Amino acid sequence: MSQAVSSNVKGASIEIKHLGKTFGNVKAVNDVSLTINAGEFVALLGPSGSGKSTVLMSIAGFERPSEGQILIGGQDCTRLPPNKRNIGMVFQHYTLFPHLSVGDNVAFPLKMRGVAKAERRRQAEAALEVVRLGGYGDRTPNQLSGGQQQRVALARAIVYNPQVLLMDEPLSALDKNLREEMQIEIKRLHAELGFTVVFVTHDQGEALTMADRIAILKAGRLQQVSQARELYERPSNLFAASFIGEMNMLPVRWDGVNAVFSDQDQIRLPDTASIQPVRPGSAILAIRPERLSIAAPGTEGSWKATVRDVVYAGAGSLLITHLADGSEVRLRVASAGQAPIRPGQEIGIKVPPEAALLYPADASQ
Amino acid sequence: MNPRAIILNAYVYAVLIFILLPILVILPMAFSETTYLTFPPEGMTLRWFEDFFGNSRWMAATWFSVKIAALTAITTAVIGTMATYALVRGAKAMGTLFQAFLIGPIVVPHIALAVALYLFFQNTGLSGTVFGYVAAHSIIAMPFTVFTVAAALSSVDPALEDAAMSCGANRFNAFRLVTLPIILPNVISGALFAFIISFDEPVIAFFLAGIRDKTLPRMMFDDIEQNLTPIIPAIAVMLTLLSIVVLLAAGLLKYVANRNAARVEQS
Repeated sequence: MSQAVSSNVKGASIEIKHLGKTFGNVKAVNDVSLTINAGEFVALLGPSGSGKSTVLMSIAGFERPSEGQILIGGQDCTRLPPNKRNIGMVFQHYTLFPHLSVGDNVAFPLKMRGVAKAERRRQAEAALEVVRLGGYGDRTPNQLSGGQQQRVALARAIVYNPQVLLMDEPLSALDKNLREEMQIEIKRLHAELGFTVVFVTHDQGEALTMADRIAILKAGRLQQVSQARELYERPSNLFAASFIGEMNMLPVRWDGVNAVFSDQDQIRLPDTASIQPVRPGSAILAIRPERLSIAAPGTEGSWKATVRDVVYAGAGSLLITHLADGSEVRLRVASAGQAPIRPGQEIGIKVPPEAALLYPADASQ
Repeated sequence: MNPRAIILNAYVYAVLIFILLPILVILPMAFSETTYLTFPPEGMTLRWFEDFFGNSRWMAATWFSVKIAALTAITTAVIGTMATYALVRGAKAMGTLFQAFLIGPIVVPHIALAVALYLFFQNTGLSGTVFGYVAAHSIIAMPFTVFTVAAALSSVDPALEDAAMSCGANRFNAFRLVTLPIILPNVISGALFAFIISFDEPVIAFFLAGIRDKTLPRMMFDDIEQNLTPIIPAIAVMLTLLSIVVLLAAGLLKYVANRNAARVEQS
């Protein structure tokens, strides 16, 4: 996941400083600061109501921030209307103009910029070719499939070579295959054209595969901004840990060296286990299901567990087990070469200490 | 067809005939050779149409009505569309109050409105003026424009204008180049209704009429009081034809509008 900042960067940087947006007495966005580099691809990821769309709409100019500042390419845009920001934008529901042909839709931004008609046509056709819809200019939007319409919307957003492309859940209305195809398409355009992308999604898979960096939001606050690998392997707090992928969360008591379970089993953790210092007391031990492995019951250093359920899923299998203290632990193990395991069976769970993460038990932190 | 369906059909047709009968009776009278109204008509002549078109007072009244109606149509189309936009897209709390004001005239008896306007216009010198007529007729035609435009506007995705603005259009151009073309059939259809409502509006015209400028319906009242020749049914024939043409035009526009709406939904 290297940052796609090539030598010929055409994108503009975006600086969000202490952004706040209040609707009535609800803080939709609360003190969000984020610097997006020129040419970078950043995904805003969060559940609905997390404020990710409000952040995007503030960058686009459709929302006027209650607090804070937004700079695009170093220029303060906080109070600038959307049409003066020179951004390209793709909306969730395509938003093609139904009364205009595909070609006129794509040429619309050029028309707004006073480009002559013949030149408009040429550039619109070129943009349609970029999204592999060359020759579709004379059709009307309703003659196209959903995926094609979204590609027209993409062509319309990039036709005037904007430095910033904003996308508001652009793929959520498409079915799975089309979505994956479009993900590749957008990545390709980003690499070829070099603009800065801010991409809103609630689909973590989409964010992990597409973005250089992912910003996680919850209840209007920024939780973590990291590259995909770091976000997955070292989530900075409990919310990020539980929001991305699967995570076992086990209540423990932390004495500064060992995480102690209620049945006095304990695990000695390396210093790296806690992303931020955790004070001794009750804590949460978090560990990804695929980092655990099965051992013979009673193996030195393994946890004693009872299998509750086995879910076979082709290449891998999911084991749902519970420890002696009743807390549930899930394991993802390769299906092949595994001795048959049945519900009710006693097993040992081997825990690599370096895979465990420790968080304060107070979820609000 | 079972007996109940036959009875229901017969009943519906009876109601329709009852409604249409007065019109069907009056129309042939326009061609009667007598100088008074009679049914069945005697003889066959186009004399009353010639009289109408040859009479400068009737022509003046007709042109005056056309002028008022056309200006009313334009006024309601422009103001009605702007008001409807505010109503559909604007703040909801204000919208409800605003809507009550806009469509209120539909429930206020025209006679009450006419008297109120008469008193008000007497004091402001608007009685009998083109502006006075257009203002008064726009009030009573506005609800119909608002209804037809609102129907179209509520099916247009507001995000389309956001998209236009992200493309560099300012707010007004976003409306003019995107939303307006989509709702235009309904705007025109609303304007046509406003035209017809103004063109054959008698009550307000009765109160506001000056000595010189009279609308066609007002002239017809005068003529009914004084002469009652078959020129009245002759005008009725032409008004009926005009209404049918406007209804057909509105129907056609509705078809176009539905097609646009279908496009909007698909895209």
